[in-house]
Amino acid sequence: MARLIVANRRGHQVVEWDPTVDTRESRAAIEEAERIIRDARRRGCAVSRKVGDTHVLDDRPFDPHVEEYQILAPIAGG
Amino acid sequence: MTVFDWLRRFLLLDEAAGRRGGAALELPWMHRWHHVPKRSAGPDFRREDYRRARENAREVARATLGERLWTRVQLQGYLDVPSRRFPGLTYRLRIGRRIEVRCAPGVESPWPFAYLCINPTYPLPEEEFFAQLYLYVRDREDEVIRVAAPQPWDQMLGRTF
Repeated sequence: MARLIVANRRGHQVVEWDPTVDTRESRAAIEEAERIIRDARRRGCAVSRKVGDTHVLDDRPFDPHVEEYQILAPIAGG
Repeated sequence: MTVFDWLRRFLLLDEAAGRRGGAALELPWMHRWHHVPKRSAGPDFRREDYRRARENAREVARATLGERLWTRVQLQGYLDVPSRRFPGLTYRLRIGRRIEVRCAPGVESPWPFAYLCINPTYPLPEEEFFAQLYLYVRDREDEVIRVAAPQPWDQMLGRTF
């Protein structure tokens, strides 16, 4: 399973999908994850993806085969 | 978008909420948080919500940093990230606190004060934001330099809890 972690005040919530199966549910989850990442980036959030056992910030277009994405809050001084 | 498309999308979103145990997905960048007091998640949060949020945050912070870094921060209480922009300068990150700027002997800091205040723009559990801030400092130092507010003293962050 692949997943998108949405970090929020609840700790986090996830959107999960299986990129290896083509079902209505999986396609919907992939669409949802892609839309969330696009909107979050537009509003100043950063996105990371899992590489090995850690995360790295990532500017590349959404890829449903990435194991794990995470959305990071925009940062501000003060 | 036709009525059919809208209905399909609505039903699929409802299905997705079901997969998350019925909780609607909260997208914090879609909301305004200025009214929420410092060190708070909002007036609708109860003691049990804070407990669960911190538990979730710990899990995701650990996954974000990886086992090696997570263990290190648990043991020593901080993570040091060497600057790529300023040779000899190190950012010391501590959970829930301002970044401490440390300079090697003979190296002058670009900031007038030793602490940098950087907050998330919406409330987050402090362990979760710690992991996020680590990624920003390591992978996007220029953004950190751009927003950092230098401060003369150490203090808890205001937007984390």
